[in-house]
Amino acid sequence: MNRTSSFRAIGFALLAAVAIFALLGPALIDADPLRQNLRAALRPPSAEFLFGTDHLGRSMLARLASAARLSLGLAAAAVLLAGVIGTALGAIAAASRGRALDRALSGLCDATMALPGLLTVVLIAALAPGKLWPLYAGLVATQWVEFFRPVRALAAGRLAAPDVEAARLFGFGGWHVFRRHLLPELTPLVGMLAAFGVASTVLAVSTLSFVGIGLRPPTPELGSMMVELLPHYADAPLQLLAPAMLLFATVLGLRLAAGGDEA
Amino acid sequence: MSAAPMLEIKGLSVHAGGKALVRDVDLRVAAGECLVVMGESGSGKSLLAHAIMGDLASGLSARGDVNVAGHRIDAQTQGERRAFWGKRIALLPQEPWLSLDPLMRVDSQIAETHALVAGRDWADAKARAAKDLGRLGLSASARQLPFRLSGGMAQRVAIAATMAAEAGLLIADEPTKGLDADACAGVAASLRAQMELGRAVVVVTHDIGLARALGGRIAVMRNADMVETGETREVLTAPRHDYTKMFVAADPAKWPRPVAHVGGGPVLRGEKLAAARGANLLFENIDLALARGEIACVQGPSGGGKTTLGAVLLGLLPPRQGVVRRADGVATWRYQKLYQDPVAAFAPQASLRTALDDVVRRHGGTWSAVEAILTRLSVPLDLLDRPPSQVSGGELQRVAIARTLIVDPVFLFADEPTSRLDPPIQRATMALLNELAVERGLAMLLVTHDPGLAAAMSARPPLRIG
Repeated sequence: MNRTSSFRAIGFALLAAVAIFALLGPALIDADPLRQNLRAALRPPSAEFLFGTDHLGRSMLARLASAARLSLGLAAAAVLLAGVIGTALGAIAAASRGRALDRALSGLCDATMALPGLLTVVLIAALAPGKLWPLYAGLVATQWVEFFRPVRALAAGRLAAPDVEAARLFGFGGWHVFRRHLLPELTPLVGMLAAFGVASTVLAVSTLSFVGIGLRPPTPELGSMMVELLPHYADAPLQLLAPAMLLFATVLGLRLAAGGDEA
Repeated sequence: MSAAPMLEIKGLSVHAGGKALVRDVDLRVAAGECLVVMGESGSGKSLLAHAIMGDLASGLSARGDVNVAGHRIDAQTQGERRAFWGKRIALLPQEPWLSLDPLMRVDSQIAETHALVAGRDWADAKARAAKDLGRLGLSASARQLPFRLSGGMAQRVAIAATMAAEAGLLIADEPTKGLDADACAGVAASLRAQMELGRAVVVVTHDIGLARALGGRIAVMRNADMVETGETREVLTAPRHDYTKMFVAADPAKWPRPVAHVGGGPVLRGEKLAAARGANLLFENIDLALARGEIACVQGPSGGGKTTLGAVLLGLLPPRQGVVRRADGVATWRYQKLYQDPVAAFAPQASLRTALDDVVRRHGGTWSAVEAILTRLSVPLDLLDRPPSQVSGGELQRVAIARTLIVDPVFLFADEPTSRLDPPIQRATMALLNELAVERGLAMLLVTHDPGLAAAMSARPPLRIG
């Protein structure tokens, strides 16, 4: 096993650990992430509370699991839709290269990229503060360009290749060319972009709730947990460290797994 | 042979596992002489070159004696010959324009060998590089980057860079691959110039024209064995071994002359066609007409617009001027094309079965009809489960022909369909296309850079482009 592939294996292992924690945690952990108990605030780790409790006496373990599920779930769902939209539009732009449709799509992409991504999400999230859907819509609206540009560049090269020309001479249409000639070549690229996209989306969601935009307390979210626990860092350093480490493990896992494929 | 041998090989064999790829070869090349090693792909001729160089791929093992300029080496010790590279043995790689540094100017690439391999100081190296380029007639291109050079010029630069350290033995692996006829003649002249400088030259090729131009001695290889050796002129005019006979007969100059075509309805007509790439006009005022069953040839230098003419005729590119007229009531997809590199003409990740099945489904044919076509073209059916990259060029080109036959074509634009194939396979493929033209009334426009092939395929004078 060479270096790249062993890094990727580490990435997949980290990601699998976080995903299992996020998926099975809320079902297995016998504690309500929202139940407060002020008499048990900021408890150190114990048999009852494996990661201790926060400043309102809520189980850290339960809150972490539920926050991981929210972050990964939201990011994966946003990247899935952004990937489908970005790949489809990228292929359409490449097929109509140089014509009005390509220019319009590329212009839209440039306009999206000219705005800082987080600002776009903040603007759309302001439509309904504290709700999940505007956050989701904002993330999709910034993430699709990450797929659009590389897919358009790769597809433009593929569409000029002899095999596509031969397919056209046999009378095959655009859908056949996309399915048979483009998609198999695009899949590795899109997979890598998706892993990077999920990593940056997880970070974006935590960053926004860290500055108080997006999801509102008491919903457990890694960014808002960190900001809530920040004043107590001297008394309970582990409680602040835990969400930060979980975020770190998630992003590192995704980035390593994305890897440089055979590069 | 009076001169002391520059290269002498005794009992050289190359094995992969238990399989012999080169079997018990003896060779002698004196200084100032040339040896052409000829054979089809997979005959072991390239492996022989690498065994002499000492850079066989891992997993291959060599046995026997290699003697370079009086230094005897055991063929088993492959890597140790690295010290000889550049100074005693030089290898001219296949398609050398790919091995020139794309970001380095031509004179510096040659000076680099003078400085780094021969150990001269940089000013001296530069002066010698300038002299080398002058001798090759390339002084004007000294400060160019490689992408500005034509294939033939790049090949001459590569020869100069390879030989700058004055190695006594030059090994050239398919030096004319991918070059047009004019460039081939230039390469043959450069190689002869090296012989006149007293160097021994070993050329590995399947190009009979190059062998004839170089003269010297020839060794014919087949399935790991050297089947015939002798003076090039004698072997090419009076081959003794059956395989050599077949190989020599596959030279288009030896084919039966084509019969002039008689009658048939018109299939395609181009009137006063012109096409341009950007601002650069490729051709203008081209008139051509093809009737059913007729074969015509197109010739011209690379980059001259031959492929663009095909795109215009097939309706893939609108002409700058003029009109293309097709026969009335014939479906557009019955105008088809064969590609120079058949691997590139198939979707890379789908099996050949899928590729053929797609066409059958699109045009409502039956699979049994496809099997009949494949059998007619002697394509083994078990080949179909492989992706295009794992099928040999000759077989894949036949699958490509079979794919066009599914839609019962009336016109075929064949863009150098055999330029990457060995002569016997080229002959078989061209004979097949000829039969199909007669059998099905298929009109064909054949692009080739080989004047002999053009003359062998069509009685009409070739159309010149560029």
